Amino acid sequence: MKVNMPVTDKEVIMKDGTILVTRTNLKGVITYANDAFVEISGFALNELVGKNHNMVRHPDMPSIAFQDLWETVQASKPWTAPVKNRTKTGDYYWVEANVTPVYKNGSVVEYLSVRYAPSREQVDAADKLYRELNNTKPTTIRPTGLAKLTKNIKEMSINKKALIATILFLIPNVCSMIESYQTQDMIHLGGVAFLSLIAVMLGYSILSGLLKTITSSQSIFKEIADEQFRNEIDLDRNDQIGDFYRDLYSMQVKLNADLAFSKQVGAESLRIKQALDNVNSSVMVANNNLEIIYMNNTVLETFKNAEADIKTQLPHFDSSKLLGANIDQFHKEPSKQRGMLAALTSTHKAELILGGRTLAFVANPVLDEEGDRIGIVVEWLDRTAEVKIQKEIEHLVNAVKEGDLSNRLELADKTGFFEHLSAGINELTDGIEQAFSEINSAMQYLATGNLSSKITAEYHGVYGECKNNINATIDKLAEIVGQVRESSDFINNASREIAAGNNNLSERVETQASSLEETASSMEELTSTVKNNSENAQEAKKVSTKARGLAEKGGDIVTSAVNAMAEINESSNKISAIIGVIDEIAFQTNLLALNASVEAARAGEQGRGFSVVATEVRNLAQRSAAAAQESKALIQTSIQKVRTGTEFVNETGSALNEIVTGVQHVGDIISEIAAASIEQSQGIEQVNQAVSQMDEITQQNAALAEEASAASVSMSDQSETMTSLLAFFQTAETSGIKRAAIVPAAAIRSSVESQPVSSSPKPSVRTESARVVASNEEDSEWGEF
Amino acid sequence: MEQNTAVEEIGAIVPESSVQFLSFTLGDEEYGVTILSVQEIRSWEPVSKIPNVPSYEKGVVNLRGAIVPIIDLRERFNLKHSKYTSLTVVVVLQAVCRGKNRTMGVVVDSVSDVMNIEKNNIQSAPDFGTKVSTEFINGIASVDNRMVMLLDVKKLLKLDGVNEDAGEEDND
Repeated sequence: MKVNMPVTDKEVIMKDGTILVTRTNLKGVITYANDAFVEISGFALNELVGKNHNMVRHPDMPSIAFQDLWETVQASKPWTAPVKNRTKTGDYYWVEANVTPVYKNGSVVEYLSVRYAPSREQVDAADKLYRELNNTKPTTIRPTGLAKLTKNIKEMSINKKALIATILFLIPNVCSMIESYQTQDMIHLGGVAFLSLIAVMLGYSILSGLLKTITSSQSIFKEIADEQFRNEIDLDRNDQIGDFYRDLYSMQVKLNADLAFSKQVGAESLRIKQALDNVNSSVMVANNNLEIIYMNNTVLETFKNAEADIKTQLPHFDSSKLLGANIDQFHKEPSKQRGMLAALTSTHKAELILGGRTLAFVANPVLDEEGDRIGIVVEWLDRTAEVKIQKEIEHLVNAVKEGDLSNRLELADKTGFFEHLSAGINELTDGIEQAFSEINSAMQYLATGNLSSKITAEYHGVYGECKNNINATIDKLAEIVGQVRESSDFINNASREIAAGNNNLSERVETQASSLEETASSMEELTSTVKNNSENAQEAKKVSTKARGLAEKGGDIVTSAVNAMAEINESSNKISAIIGVIDEIAFQTNLLALNASVEAARAGEQGRGFSVVATEVRNLAQRSAAAAQESKALIQTSIQKVRTGTEFVNETGSALNEIVTGVQHVGDIISEIAAASIEQSQGIEQVNQAVSQMDEITQQNAALAEEASAASVSMSDQSETMTSLLAFFQTAETSGIKRAAIVPAAAIRSSVESQPVSSSPKPSVRTESARVVASNEEDSEWGEF
Repeated sequence: MEQNTAVEEIGAIVPESSVQFLSFTLGDEEYGVTILSVQEIRSWEPVSKIPNVPSYEKGVVNLRGAIVPIIDLRERFNLKHSKYTSLTVVVVLQAVCRGKNRTMGVVVDSVSDVMNIEKNNIQSAPDFGTKVSTEFINGIASVDNRMVMLLDVKKLLKLDGVNEDAGEEDND
C-alpha cells in the first residue's frame, strides 16, 4: 500500500463541468492524463505518465475501497464511487470516480477513469463512510450475511425469477385444477388449465422477448463500447421494446456522430501536431503548470544540439527528458519566470542565454473557447549561430568602417544561408578592398606627382563612376598642369617683362614728377600773369566805359551841330529864294527895260532920252541880276557847303555812334576778358590743384611703380617656385622631358635692383607710398602679385 | 532889195550909221532881230496847244485880245529843244507881209541886249548853200568879238508861209 505524504487540510475544489480523464493499462499504470487532471493533480504530465495511478492516492482513502475497485474492474465491471485524491503539494480534492474497462475486439485492453465533480452530500457521505472503514478495517465493503443474501436474491437472474414466479403462479392453479378434477368439474378444470397455459405461454413469451432484447442490447452496447456503431436494431416494433430500440438507435447514431466529430477534431489536431512536428520553427506547448506537454521535432533537435552547451550552465538539463518537464528548468531563478508566465495573457518575447547559447523565445497564451488560458505555446529560436555571425559581421563591418579591409568572415563553420551571406559579404569586402587598393595606388601615384598612372581594371556602378572620375581627374589634372606649366612659363617671362617695364615706368614717373613741378611753377607764374591781365582788363573796362561816355557826349554834340546845319541850310534856302525873287525882279525889270527900249526905238527921236533911261534901267537890272546871280551862287555854294558839312557831321555822328557801340563792344569784350581772366584764374587754380594732385599721384605712382617692381620680382620668384613645384607633376607628355631652363628670379631681382627705382625719393613720397601700399594691401589689388 | 529895205527901215529910225537890234540867244549862239520888228518881250507863259501842227509850233496865246501863235525857234532851227524855265523869254515879233500885219511869238533862251550895230559891221550871211542860213539870216554882225546872226523877221514870219493860208486864216 503506497502512502503518499505529506498531506494538508487544504481542499482543491474541482470545478463543475470539468472532467478528469486518465487511462491506465491493466496494471494500473497511467498511460494518459488529460490537462484538467494534470492541472488539478499538481504533477507534471511526464511525472504522471508511466507511473502507477496510486501516486495520486490520498492516505485518507481506505485501501479496501481500491481493493473493491480492482476486484470490480478486473471482473470487467465498471466501478463508481467518490474518491479523495491528493495533489502533488499534499492538498486534496474530491472526485466522483468512474472506472470502466475498455474493450478492444472483445477483450479488455485498458481501464478508463472519468471523474466528475461530486456533490457536497456525496462528499460528506463518502467522507463519513471512509472514516468508518478506516476505523473498522473490514475485509470487504461488499454486503455480507443477510445483506449478501438479500442482495443475492435481489440480483438473481431473471430466468430464475421467472421460473419461480411461474411455479408460484401455477401452484394455486394446479391446486384449483386438481380440486376441479376431483369434483369432476371438467369445464372449470379445462378453463383454468387453458387460461394457465395461456398465461404461462404469454409470460414466457414476454420474458423470452425481454431477455432476447436485453441480450441483443447487451451485445449492441459491447459493440458500441468497442466502437462498432453499425449494429442492426429493430426499429419497427410498436411496443415499449420498440421505443427502447429506437432510443438505443438514437444513442448509437449520436455516439457515432460524436465519435466521428471527435475523430475529425482529433485528426485535425493530429494533423496540426504533425505539421507542428515538422515545421522548422521550434514549437513547445506547456500547460498552465508550465509543464511541457508538446515539443515538435525542431525544438527537440534544437535542444539536442544545444544540450552540451546548456549543460555547462544547467548540469541537470537533459534534452530527452524535456517532455512533461517544467519550463522552470531553463531558468536558474524559476520563480520570476514562473510569475511572469503564470500571468501571461499576451505575447511575450524574450531571449535566454544558456551556456553560451542564445535562445530567443516567443510565448503566447493558448485560450479555450471560454477565453480561459489552458496553456502556453512557446516558440524557440536558437539564435546562437545567428548571433555569432551577427557579431562576426558586426566586427567585419566595424573593421570596414574603420577602414580595415583585411578581415574576412570564416566560412568553414557556416552552412546554408549564413555561408552564402558570409561568402557574399567576403566578396563585397574583396570588391571594396580591390577598388580601394586600386584607387589608393592611383592616388599614391597622384600624390607623388605621377599623372600618367590610371585605374585600368573594369568596374561597374559607383566604382565605375569613381574610377572614371578619378581617371578624368588625373587626365584633367594632367591637362591643367600642362596648361599651368605653360602659363607659369608665360608668367615667368611676363613677370620679367613687367619688372623691366616697371623700372621704365618708375623712371618715367620720376621725369613726369619733375616736369609736373616745373609745370606747377609755370602755372603759378601764369596765375599771377592772368591776375594782372584781369586787373588790366578791369582798368581797360573802366577806360572804355569812360570813352563810351565821351563818345556818347560827342554824339549829342554832333546831333546839335546837325540840327544847326539844318537850320543854316533852311536859312540859306530862304536866302536863295529871296535872291531868286530878286533875280526874277531883275529879269522882269530887264524885260521891262528891253520893252522900254523897244518902245523908245519905236518912238524914234523922241524916244531917245527914254531909250537912255531904259538902257540905264536895263543896266541896273542886269547888274541887279548879276548881283543876284552872284548872291545865288554864293548862297548855293553856302548851301552846298552846309550840306557837305551836314553830311560830314552826320558821318561824324554815325561814326560816333559806331564809336559808342564799338566802345561798348570793347567794354563788353574787356568785361569778357576780365571774366575770362577770372575764370582763367580759377581754371589755372584748378589746373594748379590738378597739377599738384598730379604731382602727388605721380609721386604715389613712383612709389607704386617701385612696389610693382618689387612685386614683379616677387612674382617672378613665385612663378619660378610655381614652375619648380609644377615640375613635381609628371604627365604622360612631359615625363622624362626636362623642363626648359628657367631664368632664376635672382637674376631678375639683381637687374631690377641695378636700376634704382627712385633716384631721389622724397620723404613725403615715402610716407605716402607707404600709406598707399598699406591701403593697397588692404585692397589686395597688388597682393595678387 | 529886202536888205536894203531893212536898212532903210533901220536908217529911218536910228542914225544912219547904226541900226538898233534886239539880241537874244539860242544855246550858245546869239541872234539879233531889228528892234522895230519887236512888239514886246514877254516871259514864257503856258500856251494853248493847236492840234495837227508842226512840232515847233507850240500853240497860241491870247495877247491883249489878239491870238498870237508861238513857235519854238530852237526847234524851228532844228536845234535841240531845251526846257522852258522862268527865264525863258517869248519875243513877240511883228511884220507886214503882203499888206497884212503879222504877229508871232518866238521862244528864245534869253534876251541879251539892245545893241546899236554899225551898218558897216553888218556882213552878208555866208552862202553855205543851205536852206536855213540863206533863208532867215540877213547878215552877221560882230559885236564885241561876238558873232550875232541877224535874222530876217519877214522871212522868218514868211517862212511860215508854208502855212500862209492858215496864217492868213488865223489873222482873219
